[in-house]
Amino acid sequence: MLIIILRRLFQALLVLLLVALISFLIFRYVGNPVENLLGQEATVAQRAALEEALGLNDPIHEQYVQFVWRAIQFDFGNSYRGALPVADLIASRLPATLELALTSAIFAMVFGVLTGIYTAIHRGSFLTNLILSTSLIGVSLPTFLIGVLLIWFFSVELGWLPSFGRGEVVDLGWWNTGFLTASGLKSLILPSITLGLYQMTLIMRLTRAEMLEVMRQDYIKLARALGLSPRQVYFSHAIPNIMIPVITIAGLQLGSVVAFAIITETVFQWPGVGLLFINAVYFVDIPVMSAYLLLVGFVFVIINLIVDLTYLAIDPRLRDSQLKQEQ
Amino acid sequence: MSDHLLEIKNLKITVATRRNVLNLVDNLTLAVKKGEILGLVGESGAGKSMTGSAIIGLIEKPVKISGGEIWFKGKRIDQHPDEVRGHEISMIFQDPMMSLNPLWRIGDQLIEVITTHMNISHQDAIKKAKHCLVEVGIDPSRMNAYPHTFSGGMRQRVVIALALAPNPSLVIADEPTTALDVSIQAQILDLLKQICKTRGTSIILITHDMAVISQTTDRVCVMYSGRLAEIGITKEIMAHPQHPYTKGLVASTPQIDASSFEKMLYQIPGSMPALDNIPSGCAFHPRCEHAHDKCRAERPEVLSNRAACWLLDANEGQ
Amino acid sequence: MSGNAMIRRFLKSDFFYDFTHAPIAVVSFVVIMVIVTCAIFAGFIAPTNPFDPSSLELMNGFTPPMQPNAFTGDVFLMGADDQGRDLFSAILYGLRISLFVGVMAVILAMVLGILLGLTAGYVGGWLDNLIMRFADIQMTFPSILIAMLIHGVARGILPPELRYEMSITVLIVAIGLSEWVPFARTVRGSTMVEKEKEYVAAAQLIGLNRWQIMVRHILPNVLSPVLVIATITFALAIIAEATLSFLGVGAPRTEPSLGTLIRIGQDFLFSGEWWILLFPALTLLALALAVNLFGDWLRDKLNPRLK
Ligand SMILES: Nc1ncnc2c1ncn2[C@@H]1O[C@H](COP(=O)(O)OP(=O)(O)OP(=O)(O)O)[C@@H](O)[C@H]1O
Ligand SMILES: [Mg+2]
Repeated sequence: MLIIILRRLFQALLVLLLVALISFLIFRYVGNPVENLLGQEATVAQRAALEEALGLNDPIHEQYVQFVWRAIQFDFGNSYRGALPVADLIASRLPATLELALTSAIFAMVFGVLTGIYTAIHRGSFLTNLILSTSLIGVSLPTFLIGVLLIWFFSVELGWLPSFGRGEVVDLGWWNTGFLTASGLKSLILPSITLGLYQMTLIMRLTRAEMLEVMRQDYIKLARALGLSPRQVYFSHAIPNIMIPVITIAGLQLGSVVAFAIITETVFQWPGVGLLFINAVYFVDIPVMSAYLLLVGFVFVIINLIVDLTYLAIDPRLRDSQLKQEQ
Repeated sequence: MSDHLLEIKNLKITVATRRNVLNLVDNLTLAVKKGEILGLVGESGAGKSMTGSAIIGLIEKPVKISGGEIWFKGKRIDQHPDEVRGHEISMIFQDPMMSLNPLWRIGDQLIEVITTHMNISHQDAIKKAKHCLVEVGIDPSRMNAYPHTFSGGMRQRVVIALALAPNPSLVIADEPTTALDVSIQAQILDLLKQICKTRGTSIILITHDMAVISQTTDRVCVMYSGRLAEIGITKEIMAHPQHPYTKGLVASTPQIDASSFEKMLYQIPGSMPALDNIPSGCAFHPRCEHAHDKCRAERPEVLSNRAACWLLDANEGQ
Repeated sequence: MSGNAMIRRFLKSDFFYDFTHAPIAVVSFVVIMVIVTCAIFAGFIAPTNPFDPSSLELMNGFTPPMQPNAFTGDVFLMGADDQGRDLFSAILYGLRISLFVGVMAVILAMVLGILLGLTAGYVGGWLDNLIMRFADIQMTFPSILIAMLIHGVARGILPPELRYEMSITVLIVAIGLSEWVPFARTVRGSTMVEKEKEYVAAAQLIGLNRWQIMVRHILPNVLSPVLVIATITFALAIIAEATLSFLGVGAPRTEPSLGTLIRIGQDFLFSGEWWILLFPALTLLALALAVNLFGDWLRDKLNPRLK
């Protein structure tokens, strides 16, 4: 068991190093660290001195190692704009993004699984058909359009919910949260729905397909023939068996939630890292872009790892076959 | 009250397709006595599994029971099958590899079934579950093992333990050994037979295999195209089949004696008709060498309590 | 075969029969055709040229749809925006940019995917491993994110004075590079199957270039899956383009695509000029929905396994 976990960790580390390589190449060759620090007016001598000091003349692999080493210590250089350390910028904006991503992931997961199971159990009912056809429109719509339309309806026409920002935020020192105030919670509603809707439809379709598949299995037939109640059949036999694929996909979706937050944050002017990134793309702020890439890569790798391990924990067949492989 | 545990009267199972309504089971009448093993035999698609599912109330849309009655212990059960499903009648299926929930330890699956049907404490349920495993020849120390660690034959033993745990009066076994190794088939059938005989449980054994029928069952019911062809005591039918289809089946079964190795095995010419193209009159007449006009025109009823065939009609015989 | 005979054969085919008997497919196909025609002939259909500053009358700013302007008396089918630009014309020209970017991006992704897929499948070994592992990693990230990143990098490489001019090209490259993986996977699979077949060895025996022969055999094989992937990618590309433009890193305001128009429209939502947002949004909605639905149908028809 331990060997499997270690092997997964090692694979994750490799991917992470590859992502770091790409972000290093961007940092080193697309951006111009010297001009960044000195400005356009510096003399040739000044430049040469700084190049030496920054180690830009070292062999490329040493520079890469340096880059990774600094990244581990959260040193991503300074932003071109405002010359603030990128790490501080990201740290100040991370809570906003994570709170948004978490809320919408929970929203997507809960409603996606519930509607998926409902539409599988009540095949052909009116509500099922309604949910399914709405979801078809849902996946076709670009996220930003959903956001804009929600703002139009709930903020402009009805005036119920705020259309931008995080509302009132409580500062906990190392974290600032919108969960603790009424306006903070209200501000979360529209962005979370916008961000979660697409993942919700995906999770719903997947849950439904898996559920229909499992319901055809012999062990479900046997469970019913043994006189177990529909509740027992659904909840203790069918649903646990769909949870593996659903958790996998939903987990992988969680990563996209962090990435798609860029769009939602722009629509709602949500002060998170996504908005920071899109501004960096707009102003060609290379250090911020490179750091963001590392951050998102890290999130994805961690999520993949957790999903893999959960998978192992849930399914005894998988666990045993992996153990056998190891031997 | 008769000594019949289960009675099926004029059962009709249909499915509506876009074009027409197909009869999967058509006007089937049969009975199962207490403690007996009834074989249900017929070609693939004859409606054997449908009959089994109907008894236990697991017919699913778009298929439906559109006529007839099913009586169990003097009560009509086709309206409320969930009252008897599991604790009075249970069913086991062909493929033991797929019949157990892969995520549950077999002990937990047993305990779930036991506590669902019997009003006993969890401690007693565990004891009972262990006892059930011993009965089917599995070491009770394997209560905590997952299904994938068992072989096919062992899994079918677990399935039998599950089905018999709540002490049902009737077990429907739908080709319980078809998916197993030939060497294990007999073991599993013997096990099932032996447990049921000691408990007085009746069995409906669905199979293709006439050899299994002749070795295992007390009585046999032959189905053809969703209809009853012949029913009666196994020994009599094996010795003196009345319906031409049964004759064909019996003739095509290898006998365990020296002479059979010299004979070519008989094959019934042709194949069973498609469901949307069942012939008029007797469904078997196109394949029957004795068929005459009446067979083509009129559907035979069950004559002499035995076979649905006009050849048994005394008036015709002369 | 003559063109006429081919058309006749197509009309008799199962494919055409199924198509005419699937209302959703027909409707979405018609919608796509109408939109594409409008975009191609935008110059003739549009009452004004929205990119020509001399045709703009500032007095016409914010004229609601179908109501004569209080000062000039001009009437606009879909209203006018803040600068007095006819929204209907702007949408037609915007569509043209959206579709152009979409089509070019799909072509880029397709060519790149087919080339990489062929190479990976044919050469095999470490090169195959490298390409496919890279594809795996790229696939774990959403393509819109990849597109944004490529976009940012491309802008970083370009000198600042070219950034504006080249923005449409950058957009195409960014979206194209983010969508090649499905093409490559399909083509690679097919190549690996073909490589083992006897005619390849036979071709080599009689001195033909087996690479050429193989490509000639593979391309027809992958035609229908590639067509399906291309349709679905087209829908994705249109959405990606609209998204990037909406975020302000795509088509510039001087050459607004649908996404840019929606971005502009959002600014006027609170002041009550709803039409500036509504009409571009509806157009994008119709286009995205139609291409998606048609792609779904095509996938089910041509390649049920791709689900
Ligand atoms: N939903 C359905 N729609 C149409 N026909 C069906 C449907 N379900 C089952 N059938 C048909 O019903 C017939 C009877 O099926 P059944 O499973 O009872 O046959 P069987 O005698 O058990 O055959 P086998 O030995 O192959 O198990 C088959 O011909 C089957 O094709
Ligand atoms: Mg069957």
